[in-house]
Amino acid sequence: MSSTQKYEVLVDSFISKLKRRQITGSYNVATATCRLLMRVISSSRWSSTEEFINLIRGVGCKLIDAQPREFATGNIVRRVLAIIRDEVSEDSVTQSANNAPYNTSMFQLLSTTHTTKPQGTQATKQPNQDLRSVVIQGIRELIDEIASVHENIELMTVDLIHENEVLLTPTPGSQTVLNFLLKASLKRKFTVLITESYPNDINECHSFAKKLAEMNIETVIIPDSTVFAVMSRVGKVLIGARSVFANGGCVTAAGVATVCECAKEHRTPVFAVAGLYKFSPTYPFDRDSLIEVGNSGKVLPYEDSDLVGKCEVTNPLFDYVVPEHIDIYITNIGGFSPNFIYRIVLDNYKAEDVQLG
Amino acid sequence: MKKDDIEEQKIQAIVLTDSFQTRFMPLTAIRPRCLLPLANVPLIEYTLEFLAQANVSEVYLMCCSHADQVQQYIDDSKWVHPSSPFTKIQTIMSLESRSVGDAMRDVDSRGLITGDFVLVSGDVVTNLDLSKVLATHKQRKAADRDYIATMVLKQASELHRARSHIEPACFILEKGTDKCLYYQDIPPVNGQKTSVNIDPEILQDVAEFDIRNDLIDCHVDICTPQVPTIFQENFDYQALRSDFVKGVLSSDLLKKHIYAYVTGDEYAARVESWQTYDGISQDVLERWCYPIVPERNIIDDQTYTYESKHIYKEQNIRLSQSCKIQSRVVIGNDTFIGDGSKVQASVIGRHCRIGNNVLVENSYIWEGAVIGDGSVIRHSIVAADAVVGANSVLNPGAVIGFGVRIDDNVEIPHDTKIVKEKIRKMDDSLSLSEEEDEEEESDASIVGPNGVGRLYREDVHEDGQYGGMIYQMAQLSVSDTSLASTTVAHQHRRKKRTQSTTSAYLSEEEDEQFDKEAIATVERAMEFNHDIDTALLELNTLRMSMNVTYHEVRVATSTALVKRVDHFIETQTLGAKEAVEKIFRKWSSLFDRQVFDNEDQLDLLIILQTLCSQLDASYNSVVLLWILVVLYDEEIIEEENIYKWWHSEKSKEIGARDRVEKWIEWLQEAESEEE
Repeated sequence: MSSTQKYEVLVDSFISKLKRRQITGSYNVATATCRLLMRVISSSRWSSTEEFINLIRGVGCKLIDAQPREFATGNIVRRVLAIIRDEVSEDSVTQSANNAPYNTSMFQLLSTTHTTKPQGTQATKQPNQDLRSVVIQGIRELIDEIASVHENIELMTVDLIHENEVLLTPTPGSQTVLNFLLKASLKRKFTVLITESYPNDINECHSFAKKLAEMNIETVIIPDSTVFAVMSRVGKVLIGARSVFANGGCVTAAGVATVCECAKEHRTPVFAVAGLYKFSPTYPFDRDSLIEVGNSGKVLPYEDSDLVGKCEVTNPLFDYVVPEHIDIYITNIGGFSPNFIYRIVLDNYKAEDVQLG
Repeated sequence: MKKDDIEEQKIQAIVLTDSFQTRFMPLTAIRPRCLLPLANVPLIEYTLEFLAQANVSEVYLMCCSHADQVQQYIDDSKWVHPSSPFTKIQTIMSLESRSVGDAMRDVDSRGLITGDFVLVSGDVVTNLDLSKVLATHKQRKAADRDYIATMVLKQASELHRARSHIEPACFILEKGTDKCLYYQDIPPVNGQKTSVNIDPEILQDVAEFDIRNDLIDCHVDICTPQVPTIFQENFDYQALRSDFVKGVLSSDLLKKHIYAYVTGDEYAARVESWQTYDGISQDVLERWCYPIVPERNIIDDQTYTYESKHIYKEQNIRLSQSCKIQSRVVIGNDTFIGDGSKVQASVIGRHCRIGNNVLVENSYIWEGAVIGDGSVIRHSIVAADAVVGANSVLNPGAVIGFGVRIDDNVEIPHDTKIVKEKIRKMDDSLSLSEEEDEEEESDASIVGPNGVGRLYREDVHEDGQYGGMIYQMAQLSVSDTSLASTTVAHQHRRKKRTQSTTSAYLSEEEDEQFDKEAIATVERAMEFNHDIDTALLELNTLRMSMNVTYHEVRVATSTALVKRVDHFIETQTLGAKEAVEKIFRKWSSLFDRQVFDNEDQLDLLIILQTLCSQLDASYNSVVLLWILVVLYDEEIIEEENIYKWWHSEKSKEIGARDRVEKWIEWLQEAESEEE
């Protein structure tokens, strides 16, 4: 009982931190979620693997509800669930191999749920301690993977950026894009255009430009409205994705959808960079619900009492970019076409865990 | 890394859950202000959330009226769970407090404060980043030895909807340092012109300064431990701003400095009147206070999601197909809205039932309320579990109290407050009376034949001028023509004000004020048997703050003492001699520090004689005689001065001398005998 309470305390304080935005940025959220799950797993008690999986699913639900637009939490929970399920099924496969012949017919595909369930309960007798340590080891590897995302993405820079190319990036808030460009500048000489990203990311835009300029990269900040005008000169558009969905679409900073639209018009290739932990197995059915709406005060100064309350102000922070507008996703495991994302998602997540609720 | 940060700066916070005001009457008679819902979240949650965000570790809630409810609420909330970000959260029952000053003195005497702390009232809504303020606070503390506090002020404009129109305040800040030089509360915004008198002395040695009448004072202060001590030393400080800040800044003795922190892009405001309740609710809905928005689901079981046009819905709500949810609307769980109803810029709580063809505009409908078919509700508040019948109309400014039932086809006039049971004010503490004054169950002329409820009448003498505020709240959003002219007047005045730095003069009004206050002080001291030093200190502070001479102090002290003696004699509890002995033996030492030379002694004698002569003729000279004896014994008055007084023309005019004559004679004889 006391241990159950202990992990609940951990989860509750993590949830309130998420709600208070004391943990922000997908990278931080992803690592923090990993750490939380490690502690939950080591402090919780369960008698069967099924119970264990349900416990993690329950935690996952709570985390997603706390901050539905921070997709990294859900992704990490699903990754961890996949690790657990892999372990469990490996064990049960060895166990059940003798009992029943492995059925590979089409019929099996349709009736998976019927056969896997009893397998899960059979695995109950497996020593929990082993599973626990194996899963924790799996999460450690996951943390390492997240930490090395940038390095792996950077490896591809030389192949993607040409000498004297003009690049445009509308997401100065993205750390991945920054590292990508900095790494590329070691081998290549190129020009970077950065959209001003008013009003939400304007400070990020300035510090982004400063960092690039310090590395002697030719850097130009352009107003958001001139994107279409400069697009004919641009060789590639580089965007950082906040979350990538199974259909190949992604959520990213506000204004990027327009930039991608312009790029499409000029047949300019659009590259999206994202770590694997940003890939979500869900489909963006309700696009409005994906978009966070931010502080109205950034659009209209609050002091202006003549306007406040008399006009409606909406300040969306995110944009949804449709898969047709993206040419390639550059991830830490290589470059993929948006059409292929579903496959990567299938490799890393289990179909049972797409819906946690 | 994060843990180090938290440990490094352990911050305490004092939350004043009581407002010490009656502006939200009649609703605050049943629920304290800090538990009234704003956008379906009790106000106190916003404050606690702000403190949690700021990594505050210890929170003390000062509870006065409805302390039990606040305590109950906190005990049931998530803040006491082990996952709470506070290491300590404690409700402190300070039931006898009647003002912010009293609460602060209580804080001081309980010794809760160990370091710098955040003083915040329980009705603040803000997304302020406190760490920046704390950094400024540290800098200032290091730079200025006399620094005691920083006030957080939000830049807005004079007539901003989230700014108090009842207590607009004017701050004079030194340019560059934001040191507050002067504070002045100005009367409510009602189109009348006022002026601010500034003592030119204050502005000596100041290169440049701003006079600002455009700030929202959100009552978030970072204080050093000296602040409660100053309250303790100055018994007369009641309000935080008009007494404490003004007092500290204008005191020649304290020489302490208070600074301001003016924030531009962060949101901070205080729900302190109906008008700001309306303004801040709308601000939260329109996301000016992001990330404090309804879909943050501050309370754990909330399930709000955001939809475009600032519509927030919880999970299980039922909306009829033809109802129109226009924009800026919050709808709570398990609420039903019928066919053809329109909702605009409103908050609807949980478990509400809104019938068909209802119009709800800019109104706040709390948990469990029922609105009948065809009703029209504009700029009103319908408290929890109230029922409004079919085809009724609530005109702007209506407040329907908890559990009131309004019958069908009733029109509630502008600015009407309706309560279920009669509310009586019992010496400042607000409580429901259980009086058997039931000559009428409900007022049928107001709520209709089947209604339950009666009209709430406000105390005219105290808050009368604010009574119209809720009406004004409606007016403010409806027509701005009348207010536009006020704005012009304000700006115009601001320009002039800089030149009109005439020195403050002592008006008669202030004089009278002093008398009243000082007499009350001495009376209080006698009644509660304070020690002489405290009483003296209080009198002295009063004298300095009102800038009066010792003569006035003597008049006031004597008046109080003689009054008390008279009271004893009149009620026949004590004889003249005993009464005088009892009072003057102990309290005459007050004069020690009020009487310094021969002239003062004469003055005192005249005062006492005058006072005695006003008493009942049957014993007035006896009283005077015994007062003289005591004062002579206590060596407050010298023999010579008694003679001088006795022979003066003035004394002969006043009277009440007959009994004294003999004593004077005896005195003279005794003297000559000694010789």
